[in-house]
Amino acid sequence: MSLELLLIIAFSSAFITYLLGKLSHRLRDFFAVFVSCALVVIIALFYGKPVGNTFYLSFLDLSLFLRLNTLSWFFAITIAVVGVLSIIFSLSYMKRKERTDFYYLMMLLVNAGMLGIVLSGDLVSFYIFWEVISWSTFLLISYNQGSALAAGMKYIIMSVVGSVAMLIGMLSLYASYGTLTISELAVHTSSTSFGYILFLLILFFVTFGIKNAVLPFHSWLPLAHSEAPSPFSAVLSGILIKMGTYGFLLVMYVIIGLKNFLTLGQGLLSFHYILSVFGAITIIIPTFIAVIQDDAKRLLAWSTIGQVGYIILGIAFGTSLSIAGGILHFFNHAAFKALLFMVVGAVEYRTRGVRDLNSLGGLIKKMPITFIGALVGVCGLIGVPLTNGFVSKWLIYKALILEGSPFLAFAALIGTWGTILYSYKLIHNIFLGQLPDKYKDIKKAPFSMQFPIIIFSLIIILFGILPGIPLKIINTIVTSFGFESLNVTLWGIASETGALNTINIFAAIIIAGILVWLIFKAGRKSVSVAQDDNYAAGAYVPHDKYHYTVNFYNPLYRMISPFLRDFVDEFYTKLAGWGRNLSSAVRRIYTGYVGDYVIYIMLFMALLIFIQLKWSIW
Amino acid sequence: MNIIGIILFPPIAFIIGIFFIGLSRRIMARIQWRYGPPITQPIIDIVKLFNQSSVSHGIIFGLGIILSLAGSIVVVLFLPLGKICPISNSGGLLVILYLMILMPLGAALSGGEAANPNTSIGISRKLILALGYEVPLLLILLAVMTYYKTISIVEIVTMQQSVGWSLISLPLLLSGIAYLFILPAILGVRPFELIQAPQEISSGPIVEYGGKFLALATIQHAFGLFIGVALFVNLFLGGGGIGSISTQLGSILTSAGLGCIVSFLTGLIFFLKMLVVFVICIFINAVYPRLRIEQAVKYLWKWPTMLAFAGLVIVFIIRR
Repeated sequence: MSLELLLIIAFSSAFITYLLGKLSHRLRDFFAVFVSCALVVIIALFYGKPVGNTFYLSFLDLSLFLRLNTLSWFFAITIAVVGVLSIIFSLSYMKRKERTDFYYLMMLLVNAGMLGIVLSGDLVSFYIFWEVISWSTFLLISYNQGSALAAGMKYIIMSVVGSVAMLIGMLSLYASYGTLTISELAVHTSSTSFGYILFLLILFFVTFGIKNAVLPFHSWLPLAHSEAPSPFSAVLSGILIKMGTYGFLLVMYVIIGLKNFLTLGQGLLSFHYILSVFGAITIIIPTFIAVIQDDAKRLLAWSTIGQVGYIILGIAFGTSLSIAGGILHFFNHAAFKALLFMVVGAVEYRTRGVRDLNSLGGLIKKMPITFIGALVGVCGLIGVPLTNGFVSKWLIYKALILEGSPFLAFAALIGTWGTILYSYKLIHNIFLGQLPDKYKDIKKAPFSMQFPIIIFSLIIILFGILPGIPLKIINTIVTSFGFESLNVTLWGIASETGALNTINIFAAIIIAGILVWLIFKAGRKSVSVAQDDNYAAGAYVPHDKYHYTVNFYNPLYRMISPFLRDFVDEFYTKLAGWGRNLSSAVRRIYTGYVGDYVIYIMLFMALLIFIQLKWSIW
Repeated sequence: MNIIGIILFPPIAFIIGIFFIGLSRRIMARIQWRYGPPITQPIIDIVKLFNQSSVSHGIIFGLGIILSLAGSIVVVLFLPLGKICPISNSGGLLVILYLMILMPLGAALSGGEAANPNTSIGISRKLILALGYEVPLLLILLAVMTYYKTISIVEIVTMQQSVGWSLISLPLLLSGIAYLFILPAILGVRPFELIQAPQEISSGPIVEYGGKFLALATIQHAFGLFIGVALFVNLFLGGGGIGSISTQLGSILTSAGLGCIVSFLTGLIFFLKMLVVFVICIFINAVYPRLRIEQAVKYLWKWPTMLAFAGLVIVFIIRR
């Protein structure tokens, strides 16, 4: 199997799915799932078999290449897995919706485009696939219409700005070196001036920062994530925005190279340190904004921005530990955030579109599997030991502490405690507490929704107990960047300055848990009671209203909410307002009187003559 | 040695923790001119509670409290007590920090399943208070880890035996003082008793517990007290050592084949240090009224945070 064939399958299947949908919906669903599964298998078969630059097309004077190395394989397999599970989740989620053929076309197109991005061997192909996903994402975000249209518009405007920045960077690279093949660029840039590298990095920082929602380019994300259909939110948050992470890795450590990147500036004023600070800010502020959200998907969207901060912090900090942590966190975040969006999607599906955290509650009794999925996902998000999120965060913290950056480490650590607050709010307000009467007859989520939730939960726990499996692959990536190799074992990292051993933790928790459970069992048996049978200090228990969810962290809101305005978004909105005013001011000169236009022409001529007389330019 | 430690540590921690609960009731009584219950009263209560009937609100109601207690037992295994640490080299202080999340998380899940607004309010306060004291606590822990250039708690304890206690070593002085300021909040005693606040929210998270649930919650509370104080003693009071003389004495005794006695003695010293710290906290508990949650968070984010921040800056400058 060659890489061209892989991409041809991926792209053509999207269109075939669309056409099949015109014949029969069952056939279309089956084909979409089948093809996405096939892609997972094909990519899995490529494991450990890197493919060098394969020429596939010539464009203007440039040859376009595809290639596969460990970095792109790791991203590709994540894309394929999240892709297939989100398609399976869509089967029932999209059942009652309209224009489903179009939806599947776009979903498969996004997946194919992302595969294209990670397989590109040159920047032209990279750019083409980048645009494919930008536009299909736009169409998917605005799928629900109404307020989703505005969300999509915000996304596409910011995305276009990013694309333009990338285009400028590419053109300048082409003008300097006459090639856009990644492997050749990597050779050329090793002897480039300081200023030029900085210029390139800033351009690509804008591009990838917008896609990856790094502060201050995050403002499209909360809207887009909450308005998109839930299975697509899973893809969007899980992998699509991580294309920015892939871009960062590609530009920083492959094209520009480790040495150039890490020696750009000195000490606290070096580029990689400043980028780490951006990462740290991206952790703190969005995490606390997430705490005050009331919409489940909006909360998860802000949480995504916060988690992106960890990834950026990890890969920008630039030691082998921190980069391994950053890349691992990319994978882990894809797993638990996709899972959480699916959980919220399942709840939304069963409650007919309710995402408001203030009006749900007690669903654990009705949707137990979904609750377990939510619990595992939230534990991964917090980084509770024995979930995968713990390992990646541990790696990042250790790198930051031992390399003497305690303030960055503080930002990352305090982000975790903010995460606990909003994670618990999410779980408590949806699943715990009193079950309102209107949800008495709710059924559990259909199997096609439970299946991806179960698979993701298993992935999170498996890689939490045996983190060596992904870490081994990541170690190859990190060494290919030129960093020293990590001492990876199946259950963590062996090192002199503090090792990680998840098996010890696992055994300790299991044994302690069994012990406590036995003690618990030995006590007198308890009687199950109804949810209204509560202690209320002798007062009457109001039926259906005995629930504390609204303003769950009210004392904290009052303290921190004045500081948590989204200044960046307000600035952009103001900027857009100025643009609009300026345009309407410019429009005023079109008065419709011929005399006015003649005056304009005369004035312009006079100006030209004046310039010529004064400075004699022409 | 490690196996013995793993078997012995949880019961020791339990006994010390439950002794602390009994002791605190006794001291509080004496301060208030009462006679007070016998010091074994908490154990009598636990035995009695196991035989009482109870109500359950669902599976998570039980599993949450089990998770909470199991989590605290695991943390105990990762903390060095005197000279021994049963499970060392498994991720250091960072793992302890994250394992400590299991305690509130389990309690919060169990309390949420109880479907009583009083528990939910209690948990909301608990998480806010935790956020409040984590800000200075993390700054303090980072100062310690940066100063000793390790994330392993065993090494931090060992190094203090050669260079002296962190609390009296100058660079960490401010951090140590800040830690003392937030210790009552970590232990949840007055003025930070707002999680349970019996007069306001009917004991908050434990309002629905009865019988064996309440027994497990009490045991968990005992472990929680032990962990809170033991972490401070390990990080700032040199664990089980009392300076270089004791280290020399220890090595002489060990070479004479009396290693067990050394372990016992260091354990004893460790216990005495914990006792002193805890009694100070009880005195604070006895004289202060309860704060409101906003006041508590404001306090925690003001002086302790400023001190801890200054401490971290000092350490950062020294170690650069």
